[in-house]
Amino acid sequence: MRGLVAVLLAVITGMFCSFVTYLPEIGDVNTAPNQHVTPTYISRSVEDTGSPNVVTGVIIDYRGFDTMWETSVMFLAGLTTVLLLTSNKVGRRPEEEPEDPEEGDVVK
Amino acid sequence: MQIYIIEAVLLVFLILITCAVIFCKDLLSAAVIYSGFSFTAVLLYFMMGSPDVAFTEAVIGTISTIFFVASLKKIDRWCK
Amino acid sequence: MREPFGGIVLSTAFRLLVPFSIIYGVYILCFGEYSPGGGFQAGALLAVGVLLSRMILGENARFNIDGKTSVVMAGVGTFLYTFVGWVTLFGGGLFLEYDFMPIKMEPMHEMHAMAIFIIEIGVTICVMMTIINLMDSIIKRGDDDGSIE
Repeated sequence: MRGLVAVLLAVITGMFCSFVTYLPEIGDVNTAPNQHVTPTYISRSVEDTGSPNVVTGVIIDYRGFDTMWETSVMFLAGLTTVLLLTSNKVGRRPEEEPEDPEEGDVVK
Repeated sequence: MQIYIIEAVLLVFLILITCAVIFCKDLLSAAVIYSGFSFTAVLLYFMMGSPDVAFTEAVIGTISTIFFVASLKKIDRWCK
Repeated sequence: MREPFGGIVLSTAFRLLVPFSIIYGVYILCFGEYSPGGGFQAGALLAVGVLLSRMILGENARFNIDGKTSVVMAGVGTFLYTFVGWVTLFGGGLFLEYDFMPIKMEPMHEMHAMAIFIIEIGVTICVMMTIINLMDSIIKRGDDDGSIE
């Protein structure tokens, strides 16, 4: 079984290594994602959004609704972590083993 | 697709750092080595031409190291 | 963090880092439109400043934000983002359509820039307070009752 997994991993790695040469160059203007909507953003971003940084313009102006839910998700994640970590019940040892009261509340 | 030599060296270095983090028995050393992972990723992001992501990665790498070390005060340092 | 840790060398070195970190955070917030950066990075840098001062001085640090305040302020930061959307909604436009901000400025993209700045302030407050929150709850996890006071 381990040999089969090793052979499978080797085949998959070889396929990745052979197919990665067909990828386009970094920053090539003739590829599909650089021809669809990127020239519009780059040419019209300053006069539309008023920010010289194109990344800020795209993140907050063109895609503002995404960033709003991103912020909400991060706020909810932090709130959930605080609720879980500061509750007295969840994840602690049960109370009915009082042999070692010094270490009873230290999470190991 | 072309990969520069220094990019290839950094990518191999990422894999080595990850293996070191996995097999390290000292959790404090693992946290510090993991900050090295994030700084190597910062260099890679700079080479790919995205300084925004690199900046975020640098700051978050620092903060996550602080978190790891702070939570190590509560648990054992050596993993069993 | 109840009591400080580290010796005198660590305390002095970290104490030098705090004002630079906070000033750099405000710079990144204000110049996020012109240079790499933005709300997320600025909030993380400000949180680093607050965490360092809390590590040096313990509970009685000058730059201290306790747990309840940070929970409330994270919600305020998220509210500030959606508040801009509501303002444009009541101004007659769609949700988050910055052409309908209540303050009229002459070139149209100036209103966009102002809305982007308000939104970045909101994101900054949310990220900073969330990170302080996480640190507070991790630190107080193993203490007596574990509740945020």
